[in-house]
Order: sequence, then structure tokens, then C-alpha cells
Amino acid sequence: MYKLYIEKDVSSNELLKKVLTTLNTHDNLVYNEYGKPYLKRQEIYFNISHAKPYTVLVISNKEIGVDIEKITMKDKVMKKVCTEEEKKLIKTEDDFTVMWVKKESYVKYIGVGLSYGLKNVDTLKINNFIIKKFKDYYIAIYGDDLEEEEK
Amino acid sequence: MKEEIISLIASVLEIPEENIQENTNLVNDLGLESLDLVDLVAAFENKYGIEILDKDIKNLQTVKDIILYIEKKNV
Repeated sequence: MYKLYIEKDVSSNELLKKVLTTLNTHDNLVYNEYGKPYLKRQEIYFNISHAKPYTVLVISNKEIGVDIEKITMKDKVMKKVCTEEEKKLIKTEDDFTVMWVKKESYVKYIGVGLSYGLKNVDTLKINNFIIKKFKDYYIAIYGDDLEEEEK
Repeated sequence: MKEEIISLIASVLEIPEENIQENTNLVNDLGLESLDLVDLVAAFENKYGIEILDKDIKNLQTVKDIILYIEKKNV
């Protein structure tokens, strides 16, 4: 089960503190060696992403990763991070952006960020991403429990 | 080398060169996010014909880190 928060013009820290304060868990915040924040008491998992001017936060009862990106196309990045099969499927800016947020949400779920190697995330083999389009942005969520909590 | 690297960063990120110094931090000062960072890494790889390893990206925090990394790779 997860819950997604999207806010405009707030920093990641502000949104995180605001939501964690309502859950009364903000004092347990720690970071792993790759900089991924997590809670010492492991009942709540969360992940944050930022793309000006939006910040997104997901809270879950299981490990989770999220990424938001404004719709764009970066040829050099595509060549660097996509497999040959993935490249064949990228025809539009939307295709590229969805591919990017999938890869990012996955490495953020794993907790090692770019060090994992985005090319190692084969989005044609990994399923179960949640993809949401929000204005000119795409959001991908990857985790162990991807049922969205009712608002 | 320093001027060349600063010029490339400015061009990829579409910001004035004057905003970039040797001690400028890519994330904290320039607000780079992952996509910009990988775009920049790909630009350096193309320009200098080197490979920047995924595990090394997190260590490239300042412009100086990049200069030293590329100088070392070019030796």
C-alpha cells in the first residue's frame, strides 16, 4: 500500500518533514551510505523526487522508489542508459521520459541511486511500475506493494 | 582544461559560464538533478573519449572533482 503526495514550491525536506510530522515519525530519519533517507523504525518506507517546481513523496508499508521528470528528450542520455532493445522502442519524448523515470524509480527503490548503473535496469524485463502523467511530467513508482491507498 | 570543462558544463546546462567556478558544487550550487548529471557525464565521455563509471558519478560533486577525474583518465 502506498500514498503519493505532490506539492509545488516546497523543498524535499519541507514536504518530508510535514508528512512525517503528521505520522509522528520525523525524529527517526537516517541516511544510508548512498544518501537514501530511511526511518530507523521500519514500519514506514518513503522516497522523494523533485522536478522544478514539484516535489513528490511516496509513503508505503514496504520498500518503495519514486521519480518525477518533466517530459523531455536527451539523446546522449538515451544512448548511455538504455539497452539496445529499449532504444528501439523510444520514438517520442514521452517514451524517453517514461523510460527514464522507470529506471530512476527502480534504482531509488534499490537504494543505491546512479551507482547501480541505469543500463542495468532493463525496463523490458522489470514489470509492475506504476506510471502517472501529471501535467507535463511523468511519475514512476516501483515497490513491493503498489496498491494505492484511497485518499 | 579548466576553462574547457566550465564551458562544456555551461553549454549542457544552458547557464552562464560566470556562474561556474572550480569549487562550484553541481547539486548544491547549480541544483543539478540525476538527468542533468547523466547528460553532463555523457557530454564529458563524448568530448574526451573516456568512460565515466557509474560508481564514480557520486564522487563528482564539484567542478574541481570533474577536472581531476578527467585529467587522471586522460593520462
